[in-house]
Amino acid sequence: MISVPVILSVMFLGGVLAWLANRFVPKGASWTAAIIAAFAGYLVFALPSCGGEYSLALGSITLVWKSTNYSALFAMLVAVLGFLGILYSMDFMAGKKNLGYYYMNFLFALGAMLGIVYSQDLVSLFFFWEVMTWSSFMLVIYSGEEKSHKAGIKYFAYSAIGAYLILSAIVILYAQSNSFLLSENIKMFSGMSLGTQIMVISFLALGFGVKSAMMPLHVWAPEAYKESPSGFTAVFSGALSKMGIFGLGLVIFKFAANTEIFGYVRETLAWLGGLTAMLATFYAVIQSDAKKLLAYSSIGQLGYIIVGLALGTPLGIMAALFLTIMHGAFKAMLFMTAGAVYMRTGTTSLNDVSGLITKMPLTFLTALFGIISVSGIPPLGGFISKWMLYQALLETNHYFLIIVIFIASTAAFLYLYRFIFSFFLGQKEKEVEHVKEVPWSMLVPMMFLTLFVLFAGLFPGVILDPIGKAMGYLGNFKASWEPQVVFSAWGEKINMQVIAGTIGTIFILGALFIGYKNKKATRVVSTKDIHTAGEIPTENENLTYAVNFNQPFERAIAPILKWSVDKLFNLLGENLESTFEYLRYVYTGNGQTYAMYVILMVVILILFSGSIFGIHL
Amino acid sequence: MEFSPVLYIAIPLFAAFLIPLLGKVSKTLVKLTPGIVFLYLSYGSILLFPKAMEKPIVQVVAGFKPPFGISLYYGATAAFLITMVTIVGFVIWLYSYKFIIREPIEKYYMLFMMLITGSTGILLTGDMFNMFVFLEITSIAAYSLTAFLRDKDGAEAAFKYLLIGSFSSTFYLLSVMIIYSYTGTLNFADIAGKIDLIPPMAKGFVLVLVLVGMGIEAEMFPLNGWAPDAYSQAPSPVGAVFGGIVVKAGLYAMIRIVFLFFKTPEVMQFLIFMGILTLLIAEMAAMRQHQIKRMLAFSSIGQMGLVIIALGIGTMGSTSAALFQMFNHALIKSLLFFAAGYLVFHSGSKQIEDLEGLGYDKPVTSFFFAVGALAIIGLPPFSGFWSKLLILVSVAKAGDIAILLLILTGSVIEAIYYLRAVVKLYTRKEVPDNVRRTPISGLVAMGVLAAIILYVGLYPGVIEKWLAPAANNLLNAADYIKAGLF
Repeated sequence: MISVPVILSVMFLGGVLAWLANRFVPKGASWTAAIIAAFAGYLVFALPSCGGEYSLALGSITLVWKSTNYSALFAMLVAVLGFLGILYSMDFMAGKKNLGYYYMNFLFALGAMLGIVYSQDLVSLFFFWEVMTWSSFMLVIYSGEEKSHKAGIKYFAYSAIGAYLILSAIVILYAQSNSFLLSENIKMFSGMSLGTQIMVISFLALGFGVKSAMMPLHVWAPEAYKESPSGFTAVFSGALSKMGIFGLGLVIFKFAANTEIFGYVRETLAWLGGLTAMLATFYAVIQSDAKKLLAYSSIGQLGYIIVGLALGTPLGIMAALFLTIMHGAFKAMLFMTAGAVYMRTGTTSLNDVSGLITKMPLTFLTALFGIISVSGIPPLGGFISKWMLYQALLETNHYFLIIVIFIASTAAFLYLYRFIFSFFLGQKEKEVEHVKEVPWSMLVPMMFLTLFVLFAGLFPGVILDPIGKAMGYLGNFKASWEPQVVFSAWGEKINMQVIAGTIGTIFILGALFIGYKNKKATRVVSTKDIHTAGEIPTENENLTYAVNFNQPFERAIAPILKWSVDKLFNLLGENLESTFEYLRYVYTGNGQTYAMYVILMVVILILFSGSIFGIHL
Repeated sequence: MEFSPVLYIAIPLFAAFLIPLLGKVSKTLVKLTPGIVFLYLSYGSILLFPKAMEKPIVQVVAGFKPPFGISLYYGATAAFLITMVTIVGFVIWLYSYKFIIREPIEKYYMLFMMLITGSTGILLTGDMFNMFVFLEITSIAAYSLTAFLRDKDGAEAAFKYLLIGSFSSTFYLLSVMIIYSYTGTLNFADIAGKIDLIPPMAKGFVLVLVLVGMGIEAEMFPLNGWAPDAYSQAPSPVGAVFGGIVVKAGLYAMIRIVFLFFKTPEVMQFLIFMGILTLLIAEMAAMRQHQIKRMLAFSSIGQMGLVIIALGIGTMGSTSAALFQMFNHALIKSLLFFAAGYLVFHSGSKQIEDLEGLGYDKPVTSFFFAVGALAIIGLPPFSGFWSKLLILVSVAKAGDIAILLLILTGSVIEAIYYLRAVVKLYTRKEVPDNVRRTPISGLVAMGVLAAIILYVGLYPGVIEKWLAPAANNLLNAADYIKAGLF
């Protein structure tokens, strides 16, 4: 019998098993983890999406799990990406130390994510939320380098703040409703006082916002994504950050929807999402490290998702959920590409390697499909979500927001092109002569996802089907779809295959045309370094093609980027710590001082006993 | 012979006197004695615990009926806490078995047994002066243990502890005197019935004296100056003794007296306020510590602040959550002190800085430290999660969101400094080959604690079902009086 507890036990016991396997069998951990993840993935898909409830009494608190259509959507995302991430890790992590630790935490994180989405009560949700946080923290600090530790602590600190905000909201709800059950609280929420409603909604939104890296709560993400091993980063960005989206969906449509402040909540979140999308894109443009670039890109894409959710129209939600799935796929692809480059060249810096296209053609292909999908160009999956998002924005008359989103989408081309250009195009450096394509176990997940985004672009309806059901859970949203068709706000049908066919034809014709036209003009020449214009560069000057790639744009946006929340928060943290340093000297280490404290305390208590205890001496 | 509560005091006391004699015969016997004592006491707990949960067992010592004679009150709260002391004590013994290698070991175990005597005495007694006696026994044993290593720092710490501790006993004794002079009785239950005989002014003095006197033992801010030094300069298992046993007994004494005699809204407010101060200042100070054991000491103070807040809320839910937190903290902090003890031993330095790379060199000890850190932060699936959750629930139920947010602020700070220490352990660095290993007894002690922490984290029900009677016993003064006077 397939049930939620079985899936969770498989994941968590599997994690321990993987750790044990590493002790006794060489390569045991990776194989165990892959088998466990595949098996759990199968169970997730086989689980009926409206299954029965399972509860587990832990003392006075009962944990309740159930699969709903909404959770099924996210569970599938987690299961698929998790399996692919582990498959990718098998060769990517080969030969590294502490593999048992790596796979154990990987599986724990996957199990925790599944636990979150299947939770029907708030304690279980929070329980798994925390397990997810620490297991992913363990993976961020995996390398044991100083930098990864800093990133890890930062990640954990922000996550802890977010988690405790969620926890506050949970206990405030419980104080009012006397129940931890999600359904009970949703039912009683509209009857609570306005103050409580505002508090609960804002705490939950902030808490989930941290995980989904909503600005200004995103500052942990770039470092944490950069430092975690790429196999996990794919899951981190693709699925783990989506838990924030999962929560925001609940907050908006299950809690806020029945209150007077629904409109304000949506507008605020929509704008936060829009600004996140725009600013994160700007930051992405100026990054010179591939994983950081992708991290900012990821933050930006989650901004789009938040906008879609916050619009609250069927089309908007559909766009958001579709982008959730698509982003999971294409960001995983891109992180895997970055990881592949790292594996073969030892760096993720965009300024150090170039010209890998002939050496790693399949990786290049994945990256190409990835960036096409991110930028929302038809016929790949990313297009569909962007299309629906713009439709939804138009439909709800958010014209300013459209401008913001439009700027973000356009600027995204800059960094996306830089990503593919610096790694794969440009002049081939001597250093990459020995580079080979990555092994099959890494190519398989990459190719699978590549095919998936293509398929999603051609047959969006297949993915819209579970999304439509999930929307049914969120509210009475009626959405209709057909396999090959996307709907616009005005009921027009756009056949994706026609679009794909058209674009494909244009592409092939264009390629033929250019090829034919340039055939005679093409001369094969050896490359000459003429860009130093005769000056002899010094030895430490980086001559790679892609250095300062987006310099003009960087200059243009420099005034905006001068104001960084990251710096602000860091400053705040440092100041707080130095305050603590002062406070620490309350404990002087001198016995006489301590004795004086005791005396003072007695004196104060006696003098003010009237006001403190109500007893007049 | 039937097991009676008086044995909780008598057996360790007897062992304490026996140990120096056994020391003449064999060192191994000395080392084994405390273990046997704890096993016997846990056997007693198994017998008595279920009974006490239903109905308090009141035992009369020396044949005088209360309120005239000294009586022992083995109620649900006492049973719960004594069981906790027994578990922690047993594990501390296990850990000390190989850790305390410096002579004179018979003195160490003798003092340890005295300390257990005093602590169980505080938890058991139904007599106010008797409590003073046990308080003194505990304190004197604790001072001596602090200076056990007989180095300069230890002596200094012990002296500070002695200085502040003498305030504690003096104040407490004064309050006993005032109460006795007005009510003519020393029996807790009897005093509680006659508390109105004391004029308000004297009552106020008693309250202040008890709060300050016992506040010192319970590490309430700003009376806790002794704690960081004592914790960090004493041998590591003694740190666990303080955090797990001594402080818990002191806090119990304070709360028992406050709840019996002075349970007014103002006093409860005051407790909450002091709890918050204690929690926040201790956590802030802990963040800036450079020595691992000092950090643990401040964290211990912070945890006591949390418990004081929960007790100050004074509802059924919050009191049981506070007891749960006491239990968890006793176990988790012991685990942390144990692990830190060997980490300091291996690295040869007390500084957190110098722990770099030990995570790879001494994986098991470091792993236990990491488990302890995650548990005390309150992360699932460890036991600390549930007690913290229950405390927060009860705070929210009491309707004070500000307190809720302050507690959580403290928790965030706590999370950061603990993880900084853990991460330091796992910084990759070449560590010089170190042939010294953590002995099996130490690993078993830590393993037992970690297993309990995980087990309670997965099945909080095993502890939770005892919390309600224990909390009821602490909260419900009328029941206490009825049972205490027959």
